[in-house]
Amino acid sequence: MSDPERSEQHRKWHQQLRITLWTLIIPPTAWAAHFLFSYLWAAISCAKTGRFATFPVLFVGGTVMALLVILFSGWLAWHKERTPGDPPPHEDSTEVDRLRFLGKATLLLAGLSFVGVVFTALPVIFIGDCQ
Amino acid sequence: MSFHEQDDPQLRAAQDERLRAAWAAPKGFFLRWTDTNNDAVGAWYTLTAFGFMLLAGVLALIMRAQLAVPENDLVDASTFNQLFTLHGSMMMFLFAVPMFEAVSIILLPQLLGARDLPFPRLSAFGYWSFLLGGIFVAGSIFFDAAPDGGWFMYPPLTTRTDLSGLGADIWMLGLSFIEVSSIAAAVELIVGVLKCRPPGMRLNLMPLYAWYILVVAVMILFAFPPLIAGDLLFEMERLLDWPFFDATRGGDPLLWQHLFWIFGHPEVYIVFLPSIALFAMLVPTFARRHVLGYPWIVLAAVGTAFLSFGLWVHHMFATGLPKISLAFFSAASEAVAIPTAVQIFVFIATIWAGRVTWSTPMLYASGSLAVFVIGGLTGVMVAVAPFDWQAHDTYFVVAHLHYVLIGGTLLPLFAGLYYYWPLITGKKLSDRLGRIAFWFLFVGVNLCFFPMHLSGLEGMPRRVFTYPAELGLGSLNLASTIGAFIFASGVAIICVDLARSPWRPFAERNPWHAGTLEWLAYPHDEHWGIRSIPLIESRYPIWDQPDFMRKVDEGRYFLPDAEEGRRETIITTVLDARPISVVRLGTPSWKPMLTAFALGGVFIFTTYHLYWPALVSGLLTLAMVMWWVWTGTAEIPERPSKPIGHGLELPLYISGSSSPGWWAMFITMMADATAFSGLVFGYYFFWTRHADFPPDELAHAPGVFWPMLALVVGLVGWVFTVGGREVHARGGVALARAMLAASLVASLASAAAGLAGPWLSGMNPSLHSYPAIVWTLAGWTAAHAAVAAIMLAYVLARSFAGRCTPAYDADLRNVTVFMHFFALTTLVTYLTIGLFPEAT
Amino acid sequence: MILLAGCNAHQSTLAPFGEEARSTYWLTVTLGIGALLIAVLVGTLAWRAAHSPGNALDHRQGMRLILWLGAVFPTVVLTALLLFALPEMRPLPSQPGDLTIRVDGEQFWWRVQYESGRGEPLIGANEVRIPVGRPVVFQLAAKDVIHSFWIPGLAGKMDMIPGRTNRLIVKAEKTGRFRGVCAEFCGLSHALMAFDVVAMEPSAFDAWLVAARTPAAVARGRTRGAALFADYGCNACHAVRGTEHDARIGPDLSRYGARTSLGAGTLPPTTGNTATFIRDADAVKPGARMPSYPMMPEDEAHAIAAWLKELK
Repeated sequence: MSDPERSEQHRKWHQQLRITLWTLIIPPTAWAAHFLFSYLWAAISCAKTGRFATFPVLFVGGTVMALLVILFSGWLAWHKERTPGDPPPHEDSTEVDRLRFLGKATLLLAGLSFVGVVFTALPVIFIGDCQ
Repeated sequence: MSFHEQDDPQLRAAQDERLRAAWAAPKGFFLRWTDTNNDAVGAWYTLTAFGFMLLAGVLALIMRAQLAVPENDLVDASTFNQLFTLHGSMMMFLFAVPMFEAVSIILLPQLLGARDLPFPRLSAFGYWSFLLGGIFVAGSIFFDAAPDGGWFMYPPLTTRTDLSGLGADIWMLGLSFIEVSSIAAAVELIVGVLKCRPPGMRLNLMPLYAWYILVVAVMILFAFPPLIAGDLLFEMERLLDWPFFDATRGGDPLLWQHLFWIFGHPEVYIVFLPSIALFAMLVPTFARRHVLGYPWIVLAAVGTAFLSFGLWVHHMFATGLPKISLAFFSAASEAVAIPTAVQIFVFIATIWAGRVTWSTPMLYASGSLAVFVIGGLTGVMVAVAPFDWQAHDTYFVVAHLHYVLIGGTLLPLFAGLYYYWPLITGKKLSDRLGRIAFWFLFVGVNLCFFPMHLSGLEGMPRRVFTYPAELGLGSLNLASTIGAFIFASGVAIICVDLARSPWRPFAERNPWHAGTLEWLAYPHDEHWGIRSIPLIESRYPIWDQPDFMRKVDEGRYFLPDAEEGRRETIITTVLDARPISVVRLGTPSWKPMLTAFALGGVFIFTTYHLYWPALVSGLLTLAMVMWWVWTGTAEIPERPSKPIGHGLELPLYISGSSSPGWWAMFITMMADATAFSGLVFGYYFFWTRHADFPPDELAHAPGVFWPMLALVVGLVGWVFTVGGREVHARGGVALARAMLAASLVASLASAAAGLAGPWLSGMNPSLHSYPAIVWTLAGWTAAHAAVAAIMLAYVLARSFAGRCTPAYDADLRNVTVFMHFFALTTLVTYLTIGLFPEAT
Repeated sequence: MILLAGCNAHQSTLAPFGEEARSTYWLTVTLGIGALLIAVLVGTLAWRAAHSPGNALDHRQGMRLILWLGAVFPTVVLTALLLFALPEMRPLPSQPGDLTIRVDGEQFWWRVQYESGRGEPLIGANEVRIPVGRPVVFQLAAKDVIHSFWIPGLAGKMDMIPGRTNRLIVKAEKTGRFRGVCAEFCGLSHALMAFDVVAMEPSAFDAWLVAARTPAAVARGRTRGAALFADYGCNACHAVRGTEHDARIGPDLSRYGARTSLGAGTLPPTTGNTATFIRDADAVKPGARMPSYPMMPEDEAHAIAAWLKELK
């Protein structure tokens, strides 16, 4: 969109993905889903079986998946944020600045969500039982 | 008209007259209360919330007087318990949340260059609900009937009718009523921010206040409904003896704690973020530069909103849940400090990069940040579970929460008061009184609350009406009491300052030389909001766009006229704010007020167990709502489109996902779905609590047949509505009517089948939590089916009345949104109650 | 902090006498100092920012400030804190044979039962005795509403919730008399729901446990107080070991004379106070379950009180 001369076909696949208010919340939603999953997993394991496995495959799988979603959307956002053009600060009423802004905000949210998921995973390593 | 036509002063004067006439406030002793314009409703709302704050503050002073010395007997235990319960409840529900909504109702249209919010009558409805509910709850203290279970009302103390009287019902029902009005305000604000921005104000140019309001309103949407679900269960236990929280009959008191705190923790951020939003407006003004790190603020707001929903169990660290569960919440509670730190450093960086002009609002802003930082740091401390096991439910927590709420809500509001007073009244407040008051407040808050950290660590639990002298807590408490009265003197000085305002001269326009849109307001009020709706090219248009104020005033932008004498504003797209439509806004009317009073009747009569009057009020509410939407919404315009200047011609009617009405329905239903998920959570929560859930004797109730029948019939109803909408859009009006009628019948049949399951299995809801929660889910879904039937009947009536046609089908499209959510509710309910017992 | 702790040594987290409370005390000190340092850092930066000349920071520098101090620094500090705090959450170890004390919170007193493995548990009220140096498992429950069991000098608090039994493992390190309170708001007299805690040498504790099971000598005596106790129907709620009174509705009074407080930590247990409490419990503790006996002559109340005071 920033470069009208480059036609749709010549752009890489990931550049064709649209970035909107909904994609902005993908990283924190991944955090939220992972958090809910962790809470339910621990609560149900402890309430129904009284313990959980020493190497919880389900939990590790869920965590890796959440991190991948966050990394992927962060990577996409990073590309949008670095759309070449005029120097910062990018705060004009142009399509490209709106894109850069959403990219930047999504990237930052991806960073926070990444830290959030890692924080949620730490207790399983350090506590490891249902006491 | 074009840019140059506006050169003609006579034309401009004529436009002024037409706009003034269209936006004239109703006059007269009674009629003035029918006003719906945001400047009137917002002002009433603000004043009412401020009044409740003062009353709640006086309650706190009585408490502090009681605790000034050990073993005092100024008030008795019963009074004291009412005092702290009402102080907390009022400050949260009658001050902090409504105040943010009130301020936003005033400011948001100004910030967005809109003439008003998209649903002015909804704002008025929200206000009247708030006023009535607030008086009902707050007034109870004068009859010694106030709630006395603490502001989080833990059962079973509060659900046992032998231990808690009418106060508990007043709390639940009165505040539920206010929660409804909060959700109404949230709908209004979300749609306002997303759809009513001026052309050119893309997402990246939105004033930060609007970002925060968007985030906070969405938080309300997900935070309040679990509490409403909790209130529902709570009242069903109190009024009908359904044992949700009674451990002897399969209930669990902790279910309430979960539902309450899923609301309660986000609530803290709901009241904190709008205050930070005020900083985000005034810091750039006084630093004389654009805010530095705009995307960081958005990160912080959105990040905080999400993380705040992962904190609720940190209020339950001492309930004996498995340590692993506690640890998840401890981790999230620490993570939430990161976005908070980001916001503080955005402000520090902005101030550093700019050149600060010191002013009274800036003084309040810095003082409140100092107080807030202390509260935030003790917040990180209590997020550490082992520390919290000591600090929990002691005066340490009292100190922490007051530092956070005074530093993060109250003082920023005073900063906002001094900053925005000229915008609202055209007059500045006194700098001298403001500064004197500030120092009283600042010294008072620290003297009152800092010693509480120590009294808490020295073993003083919260919510005690007295304490023994031998504990040696007397001097710390006396210091707190003195601090509280110093703080109160500060508030009193501000009140004096406010009272003197009417006799002060008018200030110049935009007295702080700010750069954002809201400062276009004239010192002498014009009710039209903005003379012409500008094209925005910067985050700080008054600073950056040449001749901006003059062009707006001379009507050189969009919609400078009200040719048809109607109240109008522009609807734009969500991402890029491209103009797509002009909407006609609601005009002054009695309907919002009368609807609010009728709805209030339902809650108030139920409190006193007057079920027949409550039922009559309910029917009256339904009739009022019907009358309101029939006469006031989805009106077919006299012509399809109108010019708004600069060669743009916009439609006067839109339906579907670009229209405000569709968004309002969608957002309302998100809240509804969230409340429903709270009830579903209850079902599965009981399952984790019991080895046998359902209990053996009810293992096959309500059975598979009836729930599955209800599910299939309900989904058929949904398919008919969706199909009817498509057929209708293609011109098949008669067929569409038949399909909608079929859908109506299917909805009702689904409700009957859904209730038949538990009924025919003889499930007695007062025996055990299992039948109680099954009945609740079935009842909730049946109620939605009934609403679906009413809505479908409404659309059919509109169709026959010629008010809903294939070209103008907003009613049908909005009802379809409801039906999507109805289908979802049906699916989850009947799969849960029908199949889950068989699977376990 | 340490100075202030001097004022109140028996109900304070700043004067710990148990292992958990001691480690939390050092955690408190660490967190407090950390919070202070960060507050000073933020304050200094804000001060510098406010007193900088115009345009002291360009866009790039400003963004760096936000990134490093606003985001990275707190992330590092909080990660460290989390790594430090998580292991602290683990409860103390305990073995199956450890002394178990079951405490039930009731409006507004504490039912205490020492489970000794063999035979009937020893039942008491409003006083908890524990041996020093041995892990003790508290089993915490509630009959009517939620209460919270908190001995600030010993360990963090644990809620007592109807329908649940929570475990709290503690280990006292110092002998002495201390105080615990109810920390969760539980009704009218929530403020008057405390109890005494006595940490004893293990040998003294064992001796006490045996001695406490034998009835007090005067229990069976035919004093006027003993007779009035039965006549007024006190025995409908209260038990006294060694007599036929074995009701379990109210607090067990078998060793009332040895207690150091009256009405769950509300008053000193003098005969006069006891008599006042008997005649009008509600005046001392609003909302108390015990009925009032306003028609009871004062001398009779004194006689009952005197008899109770002899139950040691």
